[in-house]
Amino acid sequence: MLKYILKRLFISIFVLLGVSIIIYTLVRMMPNDYLDIKFASQLGQGTITVEQLNEFKAQYGIGDNSFKGLVDGYFTWLTNMLKGDFGTSFKYEKPVAEVIGDNMWVSFAIAVIATVLQFAIAIPLGITSATHQYSKRDYAVTIFTMIGISLPTYFFAAIIVKVFSVELGWFPSTGLISAGETYTKDFAGFMAKLLDMGHHLVLPILCTVILSLGGLMRYTRTNTLEVLNADYIRTARAKGLPEKQVIYKHAFRNTMIPLVTLLAGILPSLFGGMMITEEVFAIDGIGRLAYKALSEGDIPFVMGYNMFLAVLTVIGTLFSDIMYSVVDPRVKLGK
Amino acid sequence: MSKKNSNYLTIKESRKIISYNIKQMKYYESLKKKKMDVSEYTSVMNDENNIIEIDNLQTHFFTDNGTVKSVNGVSFNIPKNKVVGVVGESGCGKSVTSLSIMQLVQAPQGQVVGGEIRFNSDDLGYTEDGKKKAYNIAKMPTKEMFNVRGKDITMIFQEPMTSLNPVFTIGYQLDEVMFIHYPEMSKEDVKAHTIEMLNLVGISMPERVYASYPHELSGGMRQRVMIAMALAGDPKLIIADEPTTALDVTIQAQILELLKDIQKKTGCAIMLITHDLGVIAEMADEVVVMYAGKVIEKGTVSEIFKNPKHPYTIGLQKSKPLITSDANEPLYSIPGQVPNPINLPNTCFFKNRCNKCINKCNGNYPSEVKLSDTHYVSCYLYDEGGNSNE
Repeated sequence: MLKYILKRLFISIFVLLGVSIIIYTLVRMMPNDYLDIKFASQLGQGTITVEQLNEFKAQYGIGDNSFKGLVDGYFTWLTNMLKGDFGTSFKYEKPVAEVIGDNMWVSFAIAVIATVLQFAIAIPLGITSATHQYSKRDYAVTIFTMIGISLPTYFFAAIIVKVFSVELGWFPSTGLISAGETYTKDFAGFMAKLLDMGHHLVLPILCTVILSLGGLMRYTRTNTLEVLNADYIRTARAKGLPEKQVIYKHAFRNTMIPLVTLLAGILPSLFGGMMITEEVFAIDGIGRLAYKALSEGDIPFVMGYNMFLAVLTVIGTLFSDIMYSVVDPRVKLGK
Repeated sequence: MSKKNSNYLTIKESRKIISYNIKQMKYYESLKKKKMDVSEYTSVMNDENNIIEIDNLQTHFFTDNGTVKSVNGVSFNIPKNKVVGVVGESGCGKSVTSLSIMQLVQAPQGQVVGGEIRFNSDDLGYTEDGKKKAYNIAKMPTKEMFNVRGKDITMIFQEPMTSLNPVFTIGYQLDEVMFIHYPEMSKEDVKAHTIEMLNLVGISMPERVYASYPHELSGGMRQRVMIAMALAGDPKLIIADEPTTALDVTIQAQILELLKDIQKKTGCAIMLITHDLGVIAEMADEVVVMYAGKVIEKGTVSEIFKNPKHPYTIGLQKSKPLITSDANEPLYSIPGQVPNPINLPNTCFFKNRCNKCINKCNGNYPSEVKLSDTHYVSCYLYDEGGNSNE
């Protein structure tokens, strides 16, 4: 097992190298770079010359767009990264690692709560709709979740903001803490702040959960249906097991196998943030920062962010393979 | 109906069938959940020495093409301490009959719609006039059935490869039977009992098998485990649904030997379903021959093999390869095919394939003719009385 994990980690070094090359090339091939965007108006007004801009570009390390310049730039980035330095974000003017570290946790909080809710709701729904296949309950659940799948995030977010925030006024529509609010530095102040943040996060979480329920619920339903038709379920019934135990013990253990791998594989999405949701609700999570950085050509941040996701993905798949061998005795790792 | 291709349905007909099916399925499903008094699902045994009496059992499947009468008025008895073999070709209702006894017919499409399955249980005692009381499984609510399944009536399935749950150990799956039916037993006792069962079915390293998962065992071993599972609750009847079909020939013989042995040791009855006449000749005391959802002939094993009466039984016997048969001659096969199970006519179902058809055969379905105390046949060839219009 340990050997297997080490082997996988060794292989993933090469995977990450490949990923970094692709991302770097793609980012550098963007038609605009950070400085073009930043100094566009000055250039237009003539307060800055093209020569000066090119000089800036050279200082930022993005001046030379030839193949050699690309390779040079990549290796500079790579050697710095191996030393543990992800560079300084152009846009946020802070070290990339610090920007990610500071803003990651909001996204993480949203994602964890949303994922837990999503699994807690989707799995029971999927199972009941499978055990009552083609019943009214099944159709109701399916239709509801299908609506969730089909709605685009920005549209659904706008609807719930309109309903719960503008019309009903139950929840704030944007941000993370109420504007103009100050909190004392003691425990009570901290709790008040936490409560305020929770209040702000209700709508984004609601939006995420409803939109992602459908896929998971359908997945559970299909799996459960397949398992319920298996011969060993008939054996379990023939043994005299009550129906509840047949479904929640014998069938569920088998339904869980693909679900657990799915759960382990969502690791990157836990930390990676949700670009659209965070953008709509104006929450400064990592997704929103990455979106802004990307649109303005902030190469160090985009590189850092994507490598962060790549590492998480690699770990996530490894984790999911390990989980597979934990839940399914037929799978043995390391052979 | 006769002129039209029977596989073709208009949308109107199809809708009618579907709405009819939904109504029927709802009705029968609700019956299973209804709270009933014990008296509603008890009956009286005709003969105390039978463990199961099946009386005019009807199990139908409500499919989108129409109602399939898989089991259409089957009656036979399973005496205590005997092996009853049920033979017939694929789709003749053997398995559905056995699943009906277990109440394991694929619901909601498949439903027992009529008849009685009387199960001779010791819990109930006698009626006032000295007859043994019995559970009527055909009417029993599912909740009560849990106490019968796995304890009094157990089942061995055809596919040992897929019949065990891949994510639980053999030991756990066997222990479970005892945990459900004998909750007062301690964990150690249950484990000891399971090991004993594994020993009984001839598994040489029971401790090791106890801790292993199904995928670590061979097909023959898994079937032994299934038999151990069937034996664990000390059953009165074991239903073996083609227990050797999925196994290779050498293992088949071992498994049959084992079943026979166990039957002698424990004194339970076995209902053996197979389409292998050799297995029946070897194992069974009594034979039931089924065709298209009906019993066409039943009798003791010597009556059926030495003196088969129904043309179908005779045909079955002839189509069995013998060691003495001429290798150059093609093996006999019964001409024609099993009729479409939807909308069967009320005549003899075998009529069109029969080589001994007589004029009378165009009449209603032949009633059962008694040839001896144990031998019955449903065929006009042996119907001498005028009771054909019954």
